Amino acid sequence: MKKILVVDDEESIRLLYKEELEEEGFQVEVAKDGKEALAQIPRFKPDLITLDIKMPGMDGIEVLKQIRLFERQVPIVMCSAYGEYKQDLTTWASDAYVVKCADLTELKNTIRRLLGLL
Amino acid sequence: MTELFESLGLMRSLTDFFLSSMDLEKFYERTLTTGRIIFKAKGGVLRIEDRAKGNLEVHCCIGDYHQHPLDQRIAKRVFFTQTPFCLNRKGKRTPFQSILCVPIQGKGKSFGTLTFYDKEIEPFQFEEKDLWLLLVVAQQLSFAIENVTARREISTLIQEQEKRVKQLSTLWELNKALLTTVHFERILHLTLTAITIGGGLGFNRAMLFMVNEKDRILKGAMAVGPDSAEEAGRIWASLSQKRESPSEWIAQISSPSENHSLLNMLVKEIEIPLEENSCILSRTVLEGKAFNVEVPQSEEGWIQTRCKRGCSLGSEIGCYISEHLSHNPRVYSFATAPLWGKGKVIGVVLVDNLYNQNPITEEDLQYLTMFCNQAGLAIENAMLYRHLEEVHQKLKEAQTFLVHQEKMAALGELSTSIAHEIRNPLVSIGGFARRLDRSISPEAPEKRYTQTIMKEVRRLERTLSQFLSYTHEEPLVFKELDLREIVEESLSMVIQGDNGGIQLVKEFSSSLPLVKGHPEQLKQAFFNLIHNARESIGERGVLSIRIYPLSKNGVSHVRVEIEDTGAGIKPEHLHHIFNPFYSTKENRFGLGLPIVHKIVTTHQGQIEVDNRPGKGVTFIITLPAEEEKEDEKDSRGR
Repeated sequence: MKKILVVDDEESIRLLYKEELEEEGFQVEVAKDGKEALAQIPRFKPDLITLDIKMPGMDGIEVLKQIRLFERQVPIVMCSAYGEYKQDLTTWASDAYVVKCADLTELKNTIRRLLGLL
Repeated sequence: MTELFESLGLMRSLTDFFLSSMDLEKFYERTLTTGRIIFKAKGGVLRIEDRAKGNLEVHCCIGDYHQHPLDQRIAKRVFFTQTPFCLNRKGKRTPFQSILCVPIQGKGKSFGTLTFYDKEIEPFQFEEKDLWLLLVVAQQLSFAIENVTARREISTLIQEQEKRVKQLSTLWELNKALLTTVHFERILHLTLTAITIGGGLGFNRAMLFMVNEKDRILKGAMAVGPDSAEEAGRIWASLSQKRESPSEWIAQISSPSENHSLLNMLVKEIEIPLEENSCILSRTVLEGKAFNVEVPQSEEGWIQTRCKRGCSLGSEIGCYISEHLSHNPRVYSFATAPLWGKGKVIGVVLVDNLYNQNPITEEDLQYLTMFCNQAGLAIENAMLYRHLEEVHQKLKEAQTFLVHQEKMAALGELSTSIAHEIRNPLVSIGGFARRLDRSISPEAPEKRYTQTIMKEVRRLERTLSQFLSYTHEEPLVFKELDLREIVEESLSMVIQGDNGGIQLVKEFSSSLPLVKGHPEQLKQAFFNLIHNARESIGERGVLSIRIYPLSKNGVSHVRVEIEDTGAGIKPEHLHHIFNPFYSTKENRFGLGLPIVHKIVTTHQGQIEVDNRPGKGVTFIITLPAEEEKEDEKDSRGR
């Protein structure tokens, strides 16, 4: 069973993603900010990470850089409320960029693609 | 003694005669008859200097006089030396001959001579007494001549003064008329009308050319004058019945837009390079002075203008004249005068008397120059005013643009935080509604609730996306596009399959230049417009889309018109439809139109609205086209 780490500062989003992705057959853990996420990764060893960009304290871009320092392989999907980071981020550190939407089809498809499940 | 008194009496009556008649010619004759009686002479001659010929000529005579070369010589000597001459000679075979000749002089110069011949009574010779009497008579004569000459000069002066006063008052009237407007075309028309009407300067035709400093050309601006001799006659006949002052007529004269005369259209076509110094018009500008030109008839019988290099004056006006004359003039005279404004020549006026063939005198030219000086200032004022209006308009546009930009910037700042604050809760609401929806059986009444939540969230998310794409500039990659394809795609996003009660009318030009643009943005813009039109029509109506090429200011453009037969836009909303902050319950467009506006202006295009409240609305998008080669155009025709 593939393991996914969801990093988001909004509790309801964490709950939604966790339930939806578990329903898709993944093992899901959540982190409420960058600090928590960085602490969890070595222990949980996720196969994929979803990362919110706008978070208090350390923002998603900073977290992404930190993860990449020690974890070069794990696919990371950036999730954002708006598309303005799309231009500079898709090309470097992350593997995908998804604009948040109530319809999670795009997110789920992206995850499956990155995990080679399609 | 008695004889002397008689003589003085005769002379006195002579003076009285002159004072009562003031007629110089009759006075000359009377002087000769009286003198003949006083001096008892056989004849008498009055010689007057002919100034033009520089000759002393017999002006009038009485009785017999010596028609001998010697006599003429004597008179000349007396005239030039201003010394009286008396000769009494007894010839051997000839009868006794005597001559008494005195100069007629006044203020140191001679007018002529007065001579009497051959005393008829003993001692058949003139005495000293006669000489003195004749000097007195000559004196009287010179007083009379001076008197009459002075009177003539005074009356000439008075006439000239009267004419000058009339000219000045006409000029004043005309200038008054020029001050009634600052409208450029109107000023030009007033100027030319003033030059041509009888109560003004009275030329037959007047043409005005303006200097274009940028292109260094002189360009025909306007002309006033009849197109034919018949028309000229009609106009003069009707004008001669008018009795108002020039400024009153001028005010009644029709506006320049109605000036469709052949001459006016011809003159407007004329362009003369300023460097063309063989042309009298450019010379008027370069030398800054007026010209009066008379063109003689050629040997072939019609007139030829002086410039033979095919310049516009020679080819246009010259040809025009010889073609349209009912009879060839013997000569063709025209004059030019510069229009001065602020130390430089801003234009030229050309006048002629084609129809009545009156010569143009130096005085006419001077009068024209005086008027043109005034007219030049008025025209320059009008030009400055026009310039001011243009600048004012540009400033207003720039201000509107700035205000709009400022709103946009504020919107941009707001949008980032709004997006975050709204998007996340929406994701949760929508996401959990979906989860709920999946767990509810299709038959349960709650299914409708979850469906409604999902639908509304979708709508909110779409609005948010539009809003964000509107406020956040994305770097644009422009491509060469065929607008017909773009519009087709937008259309297919709105109308799929059955059109229902909507009649779709497509008029796409078969040959269309390409447009450089961002395909997604343009698709979005046309989608919004077509979507709005579709919504506005409702159940039944016509949706028309037209695409065609257009030349605007000589630049190629493509125009797209999207017309619906819906309710139109309420006039009170019309000014706000492109304003992103403006919204009312009735404003069904939301952010759609501001986005269209933004996209169109990003593409250097224009958007216009033809609103017919209650009947429908047409949105007109005009985008600049790519410059292209002819062969490309052909290959793309559909």
